[in-house]
Amino acid sequence: MTDLRNPGMSSIPQTAPVHTDSTSPAVEMDPVEYTLRKRLPRKLPKRRNDVYVNMKTDFRAQLARCQKLLEGGGHREICVHGLGLAINRAINIALQLQASSQGALQLAANTSTVELVDDLEPEDPDEAGEPMTRTRNNSAIHIKVFYPDPQ
Amino acid sequence: MSAAKVKMRQKKMRNQPASVQYSTSSPLNGGDKPTTSKGGDGQSDARTSTERSKSSHHKGGWVRGHHKDGGGYAKEMPKYITAGAFARARAAEVSAMLKAVTKTTGSCHVFGALPKHMRRRAMSHNTKRLPHRLREVANRMREKSLQAGSKKKKEQAKSKSRKARRRHGNLLLAFNRRQRKNVWLETHIWHAKRFHMVKKWGYCLGERPTYKCYRPCYRAMSSHCLLQDLSYYCCIELQGEEHKLLASLSQLTSKEAGPTFAAALCLSGRRQGSVMVYRAGQYPSQPLGPVTFLWRPRTQDSTHRQLWIWAHPTLKLDLLPELQTVCQCCEAVLPPVVPVVTPAEVASTVESEPKPEKTPEAKKMTGTKRKRNHKDDSGPPAKKILGDGTRSPNTPVTWKSSSNGIVINDLTMEMVRYRLIGPQSHSVLAETLEAATDCDEMNKSQPSSLWWPEHCKDESKMNLHQQQADVFHILKGIYSTGELPSGTVLGLTVDDPRLTLPTKKVKALPCVKQAQEVDEEKSRELMLRGVPEHCCQSFLWEQSVRDNVTDNKISEQELNRMKSEVLVPGSRLSPTPLQGRVPILLVHQPGKQVGHEMSSWGAGWDVLLPKGWGMAFWVPLVYRGVRIGGLNMSLKHSQNKGAPHFPHDYPDCPAGVRFQEEQEVELLDKFKRRPPAKRTNYIKHGCLAPFCCPWQQLAEEWELIVREGGEERKEDSRTQSTTEADTEMEEMTSCQDVTMIKPPSRFTVLRNRKSVRLLSGWCRPSTSKGQRPCRVGEVPPLDRSAMRSFLTAHGMSVVWVRLTLLSKGKPELHAIVCVPTAEDLKLLKKERGSSGPQEPPHRDHFKSRIKSRKKSSKKSAATSQSSDKTEGKASDLPSASASDPNPTTSEDAKSSSSPSSDLVFGLWPDPLPSVSSHCSRVALGWVTQGDFSLSAGCGEALGLVSVSGLLNTLLNQPVEHRGMVLLRNPSSLQYRFAKINIEV
Repeated sequence: MTDLRNPGMSSIPQTAPVHTDSTSPAVEMDPVEYTLRKRLPRKLPKRRNDVYVNMKTDFRAQLARCQKLLEGGGHREICVHGLGLAINRAINIALQLQASSQGALQLAANTSTVELVDDLEPEDPDEAGEPMTRTRNNSAIHIKVFYPDPQ
Repeated sequence: MSAAKVKMRQKKMRNQPASVQYSTSSPLNGGDKPTTSKGGDGQSDARTSTERSKSSHHKGGWVRGHHKDGGGYAKEMPKYITAGAFARARAAEVSAMLKAVTKTTGSCHVFGALPKHMRRRAMSHNTKRLPHRLREVANRMREKSLQAGSKKKKEQAKSKSRKARRRHGNLLLAFNRRQRKNVWLETHIWHAKRFHMVKKWGYCLGERPTYKCYRPCYRAMSSHCLLQDLSYYCCIELQGEEHKLLASLSQLTSKEAGPTFAAALCLSGRRQGSVMVYRAGQYPSQPLGPVTFLWRPRTQDSTHRQLWIWAHPTLKLDLLPELQTVCQCCEAVLPPVVPVVTPAEVASTVESEPKPEKTPEAKKMTGTKRKRNHKDDSGPPAKKILGDGTRSPNTPVTWKSSSNGIVINDLTMEMVRYRLIGPQSHSVLAETLEAATDCDEMNKSQPSSLWWPEHCKDESKMNLHQQQADVFHILKGIYSTGELPSGTVLGLTVDDPRLTLPTKKVKALPCVKQAQEVDEEKSRELMLRGVPEHCCQSFLWEQSVRDNVTDNKISEQELNRMKSEVLVPGSRLSPTPLQGRVPILLVHQPGKQVGHEMSSWGAGWDVLLPKGWGMAFWVPLVYRGVRIGGLNMSLKHSQNKGAPHFPHDYPDCPAGVRFQEEQEVELLDKFKRRPPAKRTNYIKHGCLAPFCCPWQQLAEEWELIVREGGEERKEDSRTQSTTEADTEMEEMTSCQDVTMIKPPSRFTVLRNRKSVRLLSGWCRPSTSKGQRPCRVGEVPPLDRSAMRSFLTAHGMSVVWVRLTLLSKGKPELHAIVCVPTAEDLKLLKKERGSSGPQEPPHRDHFKSRIKSRKKSSKKSAATSQSSDKTEGKASDLPSASASDPNPTTSEDAKSSSSPSSDLVFGLWPDPLPSVSSHCSRVALGWVTQGDFSLSAGCGEALGLVSVSGLLNTLLNQPVEHRGMVLLRNPSSLQYRFAKINIEV
């Protein structure tokens, strides 16, 4: 539901040369021979107050979900995570939350780099090729939205 | 007085004594209407009669009831009574009455005489529940009824007491008898207590649990773990030189349909592969079905290889002969006599150690039951582990080839296969299984018949074991099963999981702490590369080890005894018993691999175990909080994965054809069980084949439509209009005779990877909101020439598509996939959430025929005229679109149905009219699985459509609405918009 996911570049089999952000230049690929399959980003254990933002769910629904956690859920703080394209949206959600709380909420943002794994499946007719995996990096943001302590 | 009344009177008077008579003429006759002693009715009657007697209105006969116009008994009161005559007459009456009272009719029960509060349950069965005075009579009656009944009841009476039946030996005998026809899996009894069992494919399988758990099972699959017993899958082992094996197997597969047996990674034994098998050398035309296969990793530069092919039991029947022909294995090797020897020998070794001090005790204890004990010594019937639903017990299981040295071994039911589905299945495994512990020095030194101590002596084997255990340990650190490379294989030797059985059911969760402990680098390596090749080796591959492990399994009873002797109750058995080491294979199952969304949904692990250990692993797995799914869950699993399910969705395979026939019979039976007035009238719904899809006919029709269309276009190159569907229909009807002449070739499902990919590219709307247009560049644009060249290759094919409904609606089995007309698309453009067009109701002109047939069976007169009349009426239909094909169809039907006698109300009789143009929208194909998808949140269906039809449709659709079709359930008139996706 709230997969940490990069929707624009989700796991659509594509031929390889679309991607320019390959981290391993040593691997030379023939565009015909390989099919690209992207694996899901590594999932991390999730607490109740973690919100992973994606691009598929409606923005308002994700915002409402965060609001519910803060107000009805009784959490003092929540973490909003966004990866890749969803970074923008994660920031938007956090700012909207802050604006609607009339300054009661504070934000603390962290960025990180997430390693993603791609599978390359060979399509060659003589089937000697080994499937390859390669890793690439993508940026992520983790925004802590919290009520500051009273003192 | 009518004749009936006279008759009735005679009947009434039959048992009366001769002296009793009602006569009209002579009132003297003994005064048969007594004056005073009658009930109210009689009195009033008498009164009226006396009053009426003055008018002296005599009317004859004994008439029932009260008659206003002076019926009744017009008599005068006698002036005197002769005592003797009177008494004699009464005596006759009394005796008649007594006779009537004592006589019992046939169905009368003794306890009928008892008042209600004294009746008891099952009184007629157990006469002791009756009061004593009635018992004798009841006994007599019971005997009589038993004699009257057939001899079946006597047999039943002979059956043993429950206690005797439940005795272990007898129970096993009964179990063996009951699985003679349909073999049980090892977990059968567990399942039978909790599942609705079905007899399928020669096995008894759990269909669905008796409790409600559809959604919990889905949740388990998508967030925790669902467990299934897949032991009914058949394993066929091939042994031989690598190149010879590959050479013979390559005849069965084609590289065009994806990687084959020779794929490098699978060949090394590191991955499980899956492949579609065809009849030898027949690639596109005669498919058999999908199989998964596993190569044994190479042992030091030997070319002798071992391969396991796992196939569905319905597929195995076709696959095994095919394998025998391609490998030229025709010599059946008789099963060796060895298996008989080993258990005896093993039993002696097992008993030699723990038993001696135990047995005398046991004998003393059971002294009173010596007879039984003696019988046990003679040996209770062995539990039948060997068995197979797909072959008779005494057929050979091994075939050898004299020419190329390949050996085929049928390993069906030799191994247990469990499937765990879900992102947490690895943590369930990690919690349940523990890498086998080393055995201590003392055991190592002495020779043993068990396999593990022997292995412990070998340094290299222990090294390997250590490495495998390390890999397994890393497995605990990953968070989701989907993170691993798909198809990874891991060999392992584990301890008996019964030893670590928790006392309470606990949900296995990933241990976050452990994840951090585990070396990050190693887990990354595992994620990227998978398991190193040598770690894929397992001793499960070896027949001797498998047999040894199976024969030496500690029984549950023995294990419990050992547990009870532990000093601290509940603690682990300290030196793990030597028998408790089991070689297993863990095989990763890829999740959803196709499509854009929910990728790697439903990934999981398969566990392969030696036979006999099924329950020993099942219960510990269940205790880790997994859900158990039946057959219907595997269907849902593949549906959510977007993968075809065997044999449901393989209509071109022999197993699929058989399945369809069975399904048709089943559905038709269900349909016929309803009263005709309550049935869905599929004719009125315009559904030609609600139970079985005529794929062949569909493919042929579309092939013809497209060819005709092409020719016409060549002739006058007229512009493409939106009414093409209508013109095609006309063509259809005009040239139906051509189809009959044309030699029919079999339809196939399109599996050529490249073609499917091309088609998939054409299906997508080129520019839409969510998708980037950049992908269009890869696919050559769809035009007439591209289509023609595509169709020359795959004209008679159908292709697998996934349909997603745009708004509401739940597609059902055999829902029809149709082409939307231009007006429909306009409607869709105007309002996006529109519910779609409606099919005008059809006219059922078979109804009158059924009726007339019924009539004619009663009185065979003048039916043909009436039926003709109704026929004439039916032919002018209200809808203009449907009127076109109808004259031909009704003619067809008339000519066809007159000889055939099985007209079922609401179904089209057998020779179907044109399936594609029967409704107002042209049909493309049908749905084979459809449901509300919990993962997508809307109705989703998987179906097959004709390739020619699909291409033709796509070509005529505007670019922004490419791949839009209509979907209609067989029992509904409402069309729904759906989006076609072909996923590769």
